[in-house]
Amino acid sequence: MMTREKILKDLQEKFKSDIIDVFDKSPKRVYIGIRPESLRKVAEYVVGILNARFNIATGLDARRHIEILYHFTLEDINLLVSFRVKLDRTSPKADSLTDILEGANWIEREIHEMLGVDFRGHPDLRKLLLSDDWPEGVCPLKADYKEWDKKAIRDRGI
Amino acid sequence: MSLKLKALLKSPWVFHLSTGSCNNCDIELLDCLTPRFDIERFGMVLAGSIKHADVLLVTGSCTRQSVIRMKRLYEQVPKPCLVVAIGECALSRGMFIHSYNCPVPLDKIIPVDIYIPGCPPKPEAIIAGVVKLIEKVKKEKRCEK
Repeated sequence: MMTREKILKDLQEKFKSDIIDVFDKSPKRVYIGIRPESLRKVAEYVVGILNARFNIATGLDARRHIEILYHFTLEDINLLVSFRVKLDRTSPKADSLTDILEGANWIEREIHEMLGVDFRGHPDLRKLLLSDDWPEGVCPLKADYKEWDKKAIRDRGI
Repeated sequence: MSLKLKALLKSPWVFHLSTGSCNNCDIELLDCLTPRFDIERFGMVLAGSIKHADVLLVTGSCTRQSVIRMKRLYEQVPKPCLVVAIGECALSRGMFIHSYNCPVPLDKIIPVDIYIPGCPPKPEAIIAGVVKLIEKVKKEKRCEK
């Protein structure tokens, strides 16, 4: 069986030019920053060779960038690896992982509507949670979101 | 009020509608139906279909997606019907008042007869509220005479 140190060392050697930084937070948690263009390559390796399980992705607006964290669990060694991708804030674009990981389909749709990230190669980028009459291009979880609904009532009436 | 309303006060059948609540109010509401609190003492039975209901118990903060469904359900209730808003979210949306997904409070969408505040309200509070509602409707009837 491969140990934690071996797996992390292999990852860093194999993707030397793709990995930006490695943050070893705790025995059970590692954050690895990678370049957006090498996301698919890394995901293919982690899922195909290391037999990792894709948990979920997290999108957040970090003011300077739009960040997406892809969380993978390595169950044999009890390790949670999060791959951090920083995207350009004005027009965030990322490669879709849906054809490698079917589980990434819906979370990519959610990140698309909430943060406006364009997932290239996604088969079906419809709305997932927002209502059907939500205006195009308005992303509610971006930091610069402004109220668009003129009919909204924001006081308690007292 | 009308004969219809008088008839339904003996045994109001309630319909439980959750419009995006955190499920705490729903749990308290379900407690009311258990033998411990037993709202059947007041003749109240949980109706499975909206078309059998007399009282609409609404919980939750009225999200954009659920408002459309709620309007559709309200159209299908046999009139006259009574609407009870349960919990802080149904009253004024509580902490979700500035949420992008909760634009309008419940009583601006459909007419509400009684408000039961609390986050969540206790089953005792819900029962007291519904009994007060019955009293209120009876009193209105007396005034009209």
